[in-house]
Amino acid sequence: MSNTSPSDQSDSQTTRITDCLAIGSIVSSNSHMDYTVEIFNETDRERAPGPAECEFGQPVFIHKTIQDTEHVIVGVIYDTHLVDPDQGRSGPRLAQGDQKQFTPGYVEERTKLAGVALLGTAEVAADGSIENPSHQMPRWTLDVEDIVERCPDGVTRAFHTGTDGGILIAYMERLLDLAGSLGAEVMLVLLDRLRESFPTDEHQRVLDVIEKDVRWQSSVDRGVMR
Amino acid sequence: MSSFGPSSESTGDGGKLVGTVAGPGDGPNEFFIVTPDEQAVKTGEFITYSVIVEGEPQDVIARVTNREQARGLPETFMADPNVAPETVAGTLGVPTEDIDLYRLEATVIGFYDTQMQTFANPRQLPQPGTRLRTAPDKMLEAVLPNIGVDEADARTTGGEVDLSSVEVPKRDGLAHMGWLLNREAGAVDVHVPIDEFAATHLAILASTGSGKSYTAGVLMEEMMKPDVRASLLVFDPHGEYDTLAEMRGEDIFEGESGYQPEVEYFDPDNLQIRISELSIGDVMSILDNPSDRMQERLDGGWRAMQQRESRTWGVDELLVEMYQQYGEDDSSVGALEWRLRRSIQRNDLFTTDVNVPLEELVAPGRCTVLQMDTLSRRDQQMIATVLLRRLYQARLAAVRGREDDPNYDGEIIDFPLFSLFEEGHRFAPATGEAPSLSIMRTITSEGRKFGFGLGIISQRPSKIDQDVLSQCGTQVTMKIQNPTDQDAIKNSVEAAGEDVLRELPGLTPGQAVVSGDSMNTPVLIQVRKRHTQHGADSIPATQEWRTAHQRHQEQPTRSESADMGGGESSGEQNLLGED
Repeated sequence: MSNTSPSDQSDSQTTRITDCLAIGSIVSSNSHMDYTVEIFNETDRERAPGPAECEFGQPVFIHKTIQDTEHVIVGVIYDTHLVDPDQGRSGPRLAQGDQKQFTPGYVEERTKLAGVALLGTAEVAADGSIENPSHQMPRWTLDVEDIVERCPDGVTRAFHTGTDGGILIAYMERLLDLAGSLGAEVMLVLLDRLRESFPTDEHQRVLDVIEKDVRWQSSVDRGVMR
Repeated sequence: MSSFGPSSESTGDGGKLVGTVAGPGDGPNEFFIVTPDEQAVKTGEFITYSVIVEGEPQDVIARVTNREQARGLPETFMADPNVAPETVAGTLGVPTEDIDLYRLEATVIGFYDTQMQTFANPRQLPQPGTRLRTAPDKMLEAVLPNIGVDEADARTTGGEVDLSSVEVPKRDGLAHMGWLLNREAGAVDVHVPIDEFAATHLAILASTGSGKSYTAGVLMEEMMKPDVRASLLVFDPHGEYDTLAEMRGEDIFEGESGYQPEVEYFDPDNLQIRISELSIGDVMSILDNPSDRMQERLDGGWRAMQQRESRTWGVDELLVEMYQQYGEDDSSVGALEWRLRRSIQRNDLFTTDVNVPLEELVAPGRCTVLQMDTLSRRDQQMIATVLLRRLYQARLAAVRGREDDPNYDGEIIDFPLFSLFEEGHRFAPATGEAPSLSIMRTITSEGRKFGFGLGIISQRPSKIDQDVLSQCGTQVTMKIQNPTDQDAIKNSVEAAGEDVLRELPGLTPGQAVVSGDSMNTPVLIQVRKRHTQHGADSIPATQEWRTAHQRHQEQPTRSESADMGGGESSGEQNLLGED
């Protein structure tokens, strides 16, 4: 998979999964549904993802071939962590902030980790678009160092389109459960993205109902509404 | 329904399979049922299950009293009326097919005991997991009304006891009032035993326009059928029953040996009351505030007159008697004279000689309608008082076997009577005086022994004397919204349970709850269509106004055009006192 020609922001409407921006690689998992991804920085990739490209609520996918069929496993960034091995260390340092050129690498060891919750799977068609989206739990396990790519809005839209042309968000209850305290927030961000992808009035109304439900449920859980 | 498999449609042994017992309910006779079907079981439906009582399997009947959704789509999916909840569910991947589950609450009525000929409570709730069926139509027809089906009636040709095999419509003496509301029209006909309510009295309670006169008409038709041939006397203050004569000539009322019901109408001209038939209490009640002394004088005079052989005396003879007893210049008798002449002598209702013979008034197979719509309320009460008293004494004499008694010269009626009172609260009011109240109380409490039944029809149960109402053993209750009237029913009608009362505001015209002695359990019915026309419709005002206006336009006008203030004012200044 090539990461040398990452897609531009303007290509975000593409419906193909080829040439998407790689935003990181899997470093560990917390459960079958919940993976930790190390976001690429400038030393890993020439074109590292900008803050807006690996933001909270960003849909991502992992391209995998399973039993001769190409699949994408779609997920969403629902949490982030910053890691700094230098933190709390009070001894002498080899490098200072203004002396990067002499350092062996402490600064680069600072990394950004993202939690990715899996949403579902889809098959990859010959032209690089996705088909037969399924919001069931993916059966396959991902591997360490699998590349996680940014999911373009066009693909996100295809992933959320049901067989009857309606919106499909069947993973919602699972996501809310897995993401815990940030569940409602990640769901709201996803709904916001879907609003742009599904502008018709009929779809907006359905999204309204679901959004209100999510907001209401989280407000009740947090005790600000009854 | 799919979970029940093909047997769910079976109607062989019992009715349709509707659900499964989930467990015991709140009360000792209540249990919960879970059903996936949204249409099959309505509130008020009769369902059945089998238990073993003393070694015998018995079909226990229970009534569904409440239903609530146990599982379904959350209400938040219904936040926008423009978006179907199924669409939201589809979006979120929630299944929408066959997910609705209903939880029904049912109250055990009991199994029909052919020995006791009524329901017996098995004191045993169904086990969780027991399957429930709707009770079969034919079985309900046999066991709901108190028609005394016994083991012999229910025995099939094969020798088994099967309540569904009883041919209820073929039995005599039953009034087909309508059918069970929860089932299809005509599926479960409700036949009320006439013997029962003719003995223990009947009350038809309903607000105006909900069909109480219509229901009474249905019952009267049933009572005039050839297998009943009742002797009916109808007190009709509104002239609503003038269409009953149509029964003559209708095939359904014709019986063997040329029976046809007779319908006789009596108007005030032939309803006069012989003065000697009045009791001293009746006279007191129609005089204007007689003083104690006047009452004492009248009492003495009246008693003396009643000792006489002749029954044809009037006010004049009474006054002569009183002047003889108390002297020509007694001031109290003088004051009584004025009152008696005003209240009795000048009232066409009272007469000295004419007296409708009771044999002319009532007879088996005859429906006598007393049309009293032109009379005042007091006169209506007076007619009812005197007639009821005469009829009651005639029944009393017949039951005590006094027709052979040489000392008895009164009238005898040797067949039972049933008397219907439209506007029953007029004749037995809860407040205020009515001369008829006392005899009505007597008949409702004692009439059972003497074959004299009363039927009270009223739209204001709260205005009926509670003693009279509480003695009416069978109640037909229709739509009643007024809370005072609902309370009156609750307080005086023993059989009216909470579930009956809860139904009352929601009934539509023609729907009724039948409860009491004539039923083994209260049921909700749709009253059947009458064979004769209904005569109590409201007057179509707009149409009558139009035709009346047309008529007036064609006649030469007598009225002047209204002065709308354009002309000269006359007298206003005088009224203002500015002269």
